[in-house]
Amino acid sequence: MSERDPDADLVARVGKQDPAAVRTLVSRKLPRLLALATRMLGDRMEAEDVAQEAFVRIWKQAPHWKEGEARFDTWIHRVALNLCYDRLRGRREDPVADLPDEADPQPMPDMQLEARVRDERVRTALAALPVRQREALVLNYYQELSNIEAAALMGITVDALESLLARARRNLRAQLADSGFSKDLP
Amino acid sequence: MTPERFRTIVDAYGADPRRWPDEERAAAESWADLHRIEADAVLAESANLDAWLADHTVAPPERALIERVVAAAPNRRPAKHRVRLWWQGAAFAGIGLAGGLAGAFAVSFFVMTGQPPQTHDSPSYLASSFDGSGADWSGE
Repeated sequence: MSERDPDADLVARVGKQDPAAVRTLVSRKLPRLLALATRMLGDRMEAEDVAQEAFVRIWKQAPHWKEGEARFDTWIHRVALNLCYDRLRGRREDPVADLPDEADPQPMPDMQLEARVRDERVRTALAALPVRQREALVLNYYQELSNIEAAALMGITVDALESLLARARRNLRAQLADSGFSKDLP
Repeated sequence: MTPERFRTIVDAYGADPRRWPDEERAAAESWADLHRIEADAVLAESANLDAWLADHTVAPPERALIERVVAAAPNRRPAKHRVRLWWQGAAFAGIGLAGGLAGAFAVSFFVMTGQPPQTHDSPSYLASSFDGSGADWSGE
């Protein structure tokens, strides 16, 4: 890795307890970690807990952070994924059953309703994926980590990552085709 | 680039070349240009799924969560605040020191004279009936 870690300077300032740097890091990383945990767990409240716990570890680690070994962004993904796995291991029931109902009392225009229904379908289909397939897809597609970063994070080869990604996408296509919204699908 | 590798890339990363591996993007795009019909068939399959995936969004963190996360961070106090605290501390220490000195002076005075210091206007309830003061009604 020849490029400088884009977060290195900011993390160094956080390590010196610079309040402005703390806020900048939160605004930069909290949405990413929250999105990662929400998609991995399928539960917003649990995802918020994971994001908070991840930041507690960030605050502890920041004064000792050394640039060069792993990128900071990759490291916080590892922390958040470990926290997600702790929670997934603690679950006995199917995670799909945990998806919260987000009732909205406001009537929605057709376009908004359709977008929301599609969002819900993808969320359900993602939650039904085997966890390693979901992890691969979330890291590579939604978190936009490179194939090399995602594979390293998962402790697998790039070939194995590509296999997981292809299977994840096949499964998603099958689930979405079964969902009654197949008109856009081949 | 082979047809098999092109399909593998699209199956794994989707139809958008920006998501393809950096080191293979140019070769894959060149192959697609040279084999347009075959490439378009492969890309069309993945493009629909990409559109579905793009529709899935996660709401940004709410203000309360942001504040909870920030509040958990170790907090270095701003310099101005620290100066003010320093003066407050010094003032408290000065008051304590003055009180201590006054107490020490009173104790040393009592030890040297063998009696507590008198005041000019001792209240009458401190006077005994043997003081010979007017408070014992002896003149009556």
